[in-house]
Amino acid sequence: MADLFVNGIILGSIITLGAIGVTLIADILNFFNFAHGDMLSFGAYLALFFVGAMPSWGNFPGLSFGPQMILAIVFSMVIMSGFALFFDKVLFKPLRERGSSELFLALSSLGVAFILRSIIRLVWGPQAQYYGGLQMANRYPLGITIKPDEFFIVGTALFLVITVYLFLKRTKIGKAMRAASDNETLARVTGINTESVVNWTWIIAVSLTAASGILYGIQVQIRPIMGWNILIPIFVAVVVAGVGDVWGAMVGAMIIGVAQEMLTGVLQNLFNALNLDVLMTAYKPAIAFVLMVIVLLFRPQGIFGTGE
Amino acid sequence: MLSYFISYLIMASTYGIAALALNLQWGFTGLMNFGIGAFYFVGAYTSALLTTSASPDYVGGFGLPFIVGLLGAVVLSGLLAYVLAFPALRLRGGFFAISMLAISETIRLIVKNEKWLTNGVWGIRGIPQPLRNLVGADLSEWIYLGIAAALLFIFYRLSEVGVRSPWGRMLNAVREDEKMAEMSGKDSWNVKMQSFVFGSMIMGVSGALYAHYIGFISPSSFTPLMSTFIVWLMILLGGTGSNKGVILGAFVVWGVWIGSEFLIGVLPSGITSKAGFVRMLLMGILLDAILLIRPQGLFGREKVISKLGSKE
Repeated sequence: MADLFVNGIILGSIITLGAIGVTLIADILNFFNFAHGDMLSFGAYLALFFVGAMPSWGNFPGLSFGPQMILAIVFSMVIMSGFALFFDKVLFKPLRERGSSELFLALSSLGVAFILRSIIRLVWGPQAQYYGGLQMANRYPLGITIKPDEFFIVGTALFLVITVYLFLKRTKIGKAMRAASDNETLARVTGINTESVVNWTWIIAVSLTAASGILYGIQVQIRPIMGWNILIPIFVAVVVAGVGDVWGAMVGAMIIGVAQEMLTGVLQNLFNALNLDVLMTAYKPAIAFVLMVIVLLFRPQGIFGTGE
Repeated sequence: MLSYFISYLIMASTYGIAALALNLQWGFTGLMNFGIGAFYFVGAYTSALLTTSASPDYVGGFGLPFIVGLLGAVVLSGLLAYVLAFPALRLRGGFFAISMLAISETIRLIVKNEKWLTNGVWGIRGIPQPLRNLVGADLSEWIYLGIAAALLFIFYRLSEVGVRSPWGRMLNAVREDEKMAEMSGKDSWNVKMQSFVFGSMIMGVSGALYAHYIGFISPSSFTPLMSTFIVWLMILLGGTGSNKGVILGAFVVWGVWIGSEFLIGVLPSGITSKAGFVRMLLMGILLDAILLIRPQGLFGREKVISKLGSKE
């Protein structure tokens, strides 16, 4: 049970990075980005390319990769930010300026999702790939097993969340972003450059998502469909917490991650005890969805949402 | 060549039916259904299980006639929509879209993993085409085309009558301004529920038609691309809110999809293996291009709903 909890925290860290991006875009750009999952996969594949292109400097002690992974993460974040700004310029910005509804923007992001996924399959093929070798898990008390890489995953996620939090709290553009999310008209009236707010929203959201994809790739494997599969837990984390809050997204993601892992285990034991032949691991993504329904039935605005 | 053309017409009609259904939900009521695949699965599998001959691998089949399969598809899709509506329809806009997407993925997981019910990844083979054993394969294709075209026409007429009736004006009112509709004493929940359930029933028919035409269904029959996304593309290209338009959209998009297969034959063999992804890329670009360049589609929404109103 403790092991499942730990697994949930690791999954939750990966979901967190995606969820912060979705929540920022939903809050400031006012639409749900259905391309987020495929942006996540694309980030993972870019890192795969960079790791392969760079000379090997050996691995970090205990980890399955070395310094080239850090560089690959940074490169991938930068290039994905460029992609996002490109899509904003040619697609989302014209739609926004025309006053398109949030549903139109969401629909166009679905188009972007398919564009990115087909490019991934064209360039890298449909098969599963790995950054490095497989890793053995270490045993800890209470039956907990953790791979050394997983410390890196949680650590990196935490580092990025704190960085983004400080960015939003301390820098001028971060404050402008929060102002725009609270009241866009007021922000514009007081002379905040909404254009650069939009750009920075994309840069932060997509950088985090690229990192999320790479961490997910380290944890499991890299597949073209990985982002689409984790998109539902990411959305659910945002919806459960309520749109707009970085910490909320993180808490929502942790709830989803832990609930997915632990409920899978608990329900499997229950079904086994009842002699029902159900394979719960196959239904992990569905658990996130059922949780969302339950939360929304009682709190349509999300756990932390104010329901404005 | 002719058989190719018949096949095109059958599939385009099948998709046309789904496009009409989505047009009812999104075009007239504003419900952003990103989970068409859910109703495709339920419609196709219900009809397949009801009509195939008995198999030890899954529930049934029951060997019932085609028409029973079709009715079963309608009933079960409608029932699923009715049950799902209680949580999903409470959600607005993008939230509804997300939950529909999650629902269709959940249904796909069930179809894939509950082998006793659906034969899992092996799918269901030998789904009968009506009268095929009696009249042979060639004539049977023509008959099937007749059935698909007739259903398309029936649903077209029903949609036209529906949206031009007081009920249709209620759908429009709820889409344009839900609060206003409620203030005028319309029960917006019921209106949305009806539109959602009717639309989903029709999607179920489309799924069943697909199953009986192809003869084989599996969890990979209805990917998000080939169920949800392509139907969205059809109604956007044809013109959201126009029943004629979305049928035209279905025929054009399916034509482009089939036509690109011919192109692939011409390409060098190295690219051929990746051709499916090029088509997917084109579909994505096409969708965004339509949204950018001609968001109203080829036909655009008909402003005047009532024939009487246009005489002034």
